[in-house]
Amino acid sequence: MADLGRLAICLALVCAVFSAAASIFGALRRRADVARSGEHAAWACFGLVTLATGLLLRALLARDFSIEYVAAYSSSTLPTSYTVAALWGGQKGSLLFWAFVLTAFGAVVLWQNRERNRELMPWVTAVLMVVAGFFLALVTFITDPFERLPHAAAEGADLNPLLQNYWMMIHPPSLYTGYVSASVPFAFAIAALATGRLGDQWIRTTRRWALFSWFFLSLGNLFGAMWAYEVLGWGGYWAWDPVENAAFMPWLVSTAYLHSVMIQEKKDMLRVWNMVLVLLTFALTIFGTFLTRSGVISSVHSFTQSGLGPFFIGFLVAVLLVSGGLIAYRLPELRTTGTIESFLSREAAFLFNNLVLVGIAFAVFWGTVFPVISEWVRGVKITVGPPFFNRVNAPLGVLLLFLMGVGPVIAWRRASPQNLWRAFAFPVGVGVAAAMALLLGGMPPGLALLTFALGLFVLGTISQEFWRGMRARQAMLKERAPQALARVVGKNRRRYGGYVIHVGIVSMFLGIAASSAFRIEVQQTLKPGESVKVGRYDLRYERIETSEDGHVSRLAAVVDVSVAGKPIDTLRPEKRFYKKPQQPTTEVANRWSLREDLYLVLGSYDPKSQLATLLVYVNPLVVWIWIGGLVLAIGTAIAVWPSALERRVPVSSGAFEAERA
Amino acid sequence: MLNHRRFMVGAVLIATAVAYLVWAGIQSTAVYYFEMDEFLGARTAHAGEDLRVKGWVRTGTMQWDPATNELAFELARQDGSGAVPVTYKGILPDMFAEGREVVVEGRDDGSAFRARQVLTSCPSKYEPERKGA
Repeated sequence: MADLGRLAICLALVCAVFSAAASIFGALRRRADVARSGEHAAWACFGLVTLATGLLLRALLARDFSIEYVAAYSSSTLPTSYTVAALWGGQKGSLLFWAFVLTAFGAVVLWQNRERNRELMPWVTAVLMVVAGFFLALVTFITDPFERLPHAAAEGADLNPLLQNYWMMIHPPSLYTGYVSASVPFAFAIAALATGRLGDQWIRTTRRWALFSWFFLSLGNLFGAMWAYEVLGWGGYWAWDPVENAAFMPWLVSTAYLHSVMIQEKKDMLRVWNMVLVLLTFALTIFGTFLTRSGVISSVHSFTQSGLGPFFIGFLVAVLLVSGGLIAYRLPELRTTGTIESFLSREAAFLFNNLVLVGIAFAVFWGTVFPVISEWVRGVKITVGPPFFNRVNAPLGVLLLFLMGVGPVIAWRRASPQNLWRAFAFPVGVGVAAAMALLLGGMPPGLALLTFALGLFVLGTISQEFWRGMRARQAMLKERAPQALARVVGKNRRRYGGYVIHVGIVSMFLGIAASSAFRIEVQQTLKPGESVKVGRYDLRYERIETSEDGHVSRLAAVVDVSVAGKPIDTLRPEKRFYKKPQQPTTEVANRWSLREDLYLVLGSYDPKSQLATLLVYVNPLVVWIWIGGLVLAIGTAIAVWPSALERRVPVSSGAFEAERA
Repeated sequence: MLNHRRFMVGAVLIATAVAYLVWAGIQSTAVYYFEMDEFLGARTAHAGEDLRVKGWVRTGTMQWDPATNELAFELARQDGSGAVPVTYKGILPDMFAEGREVVVEGRDDGSAFRARQVLTSCPSKYEPERKGA
């Protein structure tokens, strides 16, 4: 079994190398037959990697502890679902899983383009196979997932208890999907550069892929935040840990790309910039993988010192050199004729949105690698923590929120005073009214208040767009309101889907602003029967309950919660002691509501004195972050749904003005 | 041609703002990060400053009072040498144990290191703990 798996990986690597070589040769020499054989090899590579992944999964499920990986990340008592998750729970398995997802997406791309983009495809195949080859080379030569133990272990060491929850089932796969699918737009961009077909073709082909990748990066980040919030028990959802940053940076750049690409489609500008963003997104996914595996930067995630670092750096440098070189080579042809006429234009708003997003990515990057850089330059490691990221990113985030309201409604080319009035009178009114109401309601002036005002301003622009679109249809076609609304969204899915996504993002902004600015945190040591008041809640610590099974023993504090003298709930924050590996973990008790979360952690318990220390957090509006994620998913679904008007021709600016007038 | 100058003004403004925010942020939040050896060498020079120090919890020195949430231990090199007393008041991190690698953040007042925060690295996600250790 293990030998078969190893053989499959080796053969897959051979296929990937052959496929890349044949594709490039076929493209350069215009030999369609050779390029075809390159594609066939890519299919074979996919088949072989699937086989290897399946075999590793089977070994895990069969609890074959003669394989080192299985013995290290599972045990005979580990539930089946987590045994499946162990496939990506360790370094070796996750690299193989990565290769599997990549070759699977490669197969989908080959299938989608079996009749189309024939000139681009050899290069696309080559790029995807080079990337797959890199990962396959790692599992072939450096860390073999099918490595056998000298003597089969009697029992496995088990998956880390922190990973034994359902987030482990969905968070890593989402993130990998987002990471890996960023390779597809990258491959097409390289193909466009290599062939000189620099028009919109590659962009239209990969529009859905880019959105798909962005969506899963969003989900991956959100699931990670929920995981941290529910499992780690420090009351927050985002710690600016290098691993989190590694997932956040490609998301930022990918977001910038999704916006700037619209400017290229509509105005034929920013071709170079778009190339750079696609390249950067991909490079950041590789960089993120590098960060999590190299041990270069210390993190609470405690990376392994696996010696993979140099290979990732080498690959990253090669990627940057080749794509940078290609862009430089095609620079004369990438120049475009579009112009920006005014600051007060949609082009300018989109550009500034791009700069801010890339600026945030840069700040996050800089803060993440700062220890390494300071050690090079000054010989000492200097770290920056969450305060750095919060300080830098809060003002930039607010600016971004403002641009999110401006961009979609301001006129192209140059906004006239009439246009500004027509577009912004209502939303600005909403924002100002919201700010006044909140001030009167007692919210202190500050970033949170500004975020709320701007958030409502953005919601104002979006609802105005929906309203006007609906009214226009009603006036023209005499449809009833719900029907007109559904039709106008259905005919402009990408645009209105985008608006819905913006609503989700605003919701997240509000949740983040409120929970950062107004959270309450209290730590209190209590005797049984004693109470503590936190916010509007009275918490009474009743007693400790214990329970035990073969896997874990539990210690739960029973806490009665009442508001204004009325009991509303009983919460049970726990400490769990896993028996294998022996390790305590924290089980948070969270009572969530739309208004605020009451988040309870059992900090410590002293059996002698029966004293229990409770950590109590009241986190306002956190749920709206998760709701925002749901709205974002709905918006994405609307945006990617195929519509009749699939092939929109780029409209000239004159025609577009007429359409809007 | 593109109205470069006007756009460049805006771009430079945003880039400057980002650069300034990063610079100011680093100025006000940067903290030295020392390995145990470096810390022992630089201890007096950086007394009273905010520091992060990575070391190991020396076996046999951990004292934890769950009633008061006071923790005292000695931070040392992996072999137990070069021990420095550390005090901390707060919730004991789940992963904290003798012999483990930890990062303490706080100030050294000459007699002991007063930690505001104790960070434990989880037994790695990507690498099992050394077998038999």
